[in-house]
Amino acid sequence: MAKPAVILVGADKGGVGKTTVARTLIDYFGAHQTPTRAFDTESPRGTLKRFHPELTEVVDVTSVSDQMKIFDTLGSADAKVTVIDVRAGLLSSTLQALTDIGFLESAKKGQITFAVFHILGPSIASLEEIAETARVMGDANYFLVKNFINNTTFFDWDPATYNAYFKRIKGAEEISIPKLNEMAYEQVEVASVPFVSFVGNKGAKNEAANYSFVLRGYVRHWLGNVWGEYDRVKLVDLVAPKMESNVRQAAG
Amino acid sequence: MSFRSSITIVASPRPRVGKTLLARLLADFHQQQGRIVATFDLNAGDKTLEHFLPEQTTTASIRDIGGQIALFDRLVADEDTTKIIDLGHESFESFFAVTHQIGFIEEARSRSIGVAILFTMTPDKTSVDAYRNLRTRFSHATLAPVHNEMLGPAQHRDKYPLASGSPVVRIPVLAPGLRRYIETPPFSFANSQLADAVDVPVSAHAEIQRWLRRIYLEFRELDLRILLADLTSSIRFGY
Repeated sequence: MAKPAVILVGADKGGVGKTTVARTLIDYFGAHQTPTRAFDTESPRGTLKRFHPELTEVVDVTSVSDQMKIFDTLGSADAKVTVIDVRAGLLSSTLQALTDIGFLESAKKGQITFAVFHILGPSIASLEEIAETARVMGDANYFLVKNFINNTTFFDWDPATYNAYFKRIKGAEEISIPKLNEMAYEQVEVASVPFVSFVGNKGAKNEAANYSFVLRGYVRHWLGNVWGEYDRVKLVDLVAPKMESNVRQAAG
Repeated sequence: MSFRSSITIVASPRPRVGKTLLARLLADFHQQQGRIVATFDLNAGDKTLEHFLPEQTTTASIRDIGGQIALFDRLVADEDTTKIIDLGHESFESFFAVTHQIGFIEEARSRSIGVAILFTMTPDKTSVDAYRNLRTRFSHATLAPVHNEMLGPAQHRDKYPLASGSPVVRIPVLAPGLRRYIETPPFSFANSQLADAVDVPVSAHAEIQRWLRRIYLEFRELDLRILLADLTSSIRFGY
């Protein structure tokens, strides 16, 4: 029996594109035939739910009953991967809550695969959060995501400062989400469908749609690059290790 | 699968190598074959193509996304039209960059539209490199080098590697005295209109016709090659 995986997507600043990253993750696991469910903590609005209504439930991650809904079902749910889109400002407190309920402990023991996608904003201020979260995280799989999707300007960070923070988390990996043409991004927003549906010219109910081929082409190219990043950090191996690797681990 | 229609891109990173003339010849050839033709002018400025083919020509620009949508979405649209693109040298790089990024050739194929790139050979390194680059980037398109004999007799065959079994498209020399007739709009190579053109003397008319027949023969062969490319890839990819 494969162990469940939980991926936390968060940032401590709003508007850095958490939900966009969560959407690419759901699409990615979908493409790899890995059953996935998602929790959207932006109650009551639920942006993620708008794009992936069938997989997504809106929850309040600070309430105990909703925590039970997420974490007590990890072993029993059909989904192998649980993606949690953590509302802006809640990443540190969510991690704290996870420590309190002993979730991080079970992750450390290897009963659960746990990964954090920390989305970084283009300003240096958000780096303070890395230091904060690093304290709680220990050895979890930690990904620092530089999100360029809506940015024309390059991140204007001082590399020395950045590296100083970066090194606080052991084994943290960096992921870059490249820029997507504004009009293409906007049209996917308007369509309110997963990126893969947009690329495949499909509507929310899988019906044929009529999106611009050029925009679909740009989204496909962009999504390919994003998935390339996930491939590079071996995300599928992380959440759904193959049998062979288990054998190898046992042998080792 | 069999191609319903085709898109031909007339391209070279060099100016003044006869791209617009080639586009006009292609347009008139396809019209004579009874096809509906649409031409797209991607040249900055002079609108030469539009002067000769006012009804068929759309002036296009790919500088912004709006222009890209207007052009590429039209190109892959579901219509039985033969499309010809006169790609100005200044748009060469950006056009093929976008084409590659949005997967245009593959999309066209999936809609049963064959894509051919006619590339005018010149000896300069820029062109040679650009040609090789197209070859590696667009393996699904038929890439046909063009030897425009009006630019000189040298074929540069050593510099332009060919796919096996595909010859060069040759545009033979037209006597300099006759060029002024075909280069003054309105002028069409389409048979009936050429015959009606009163200001072309009979001797010149016959000469242009002879020249044209040789070119059309080359185009017919090119048509077959696009079809053949379709068949071979059907076999290879099992469509």
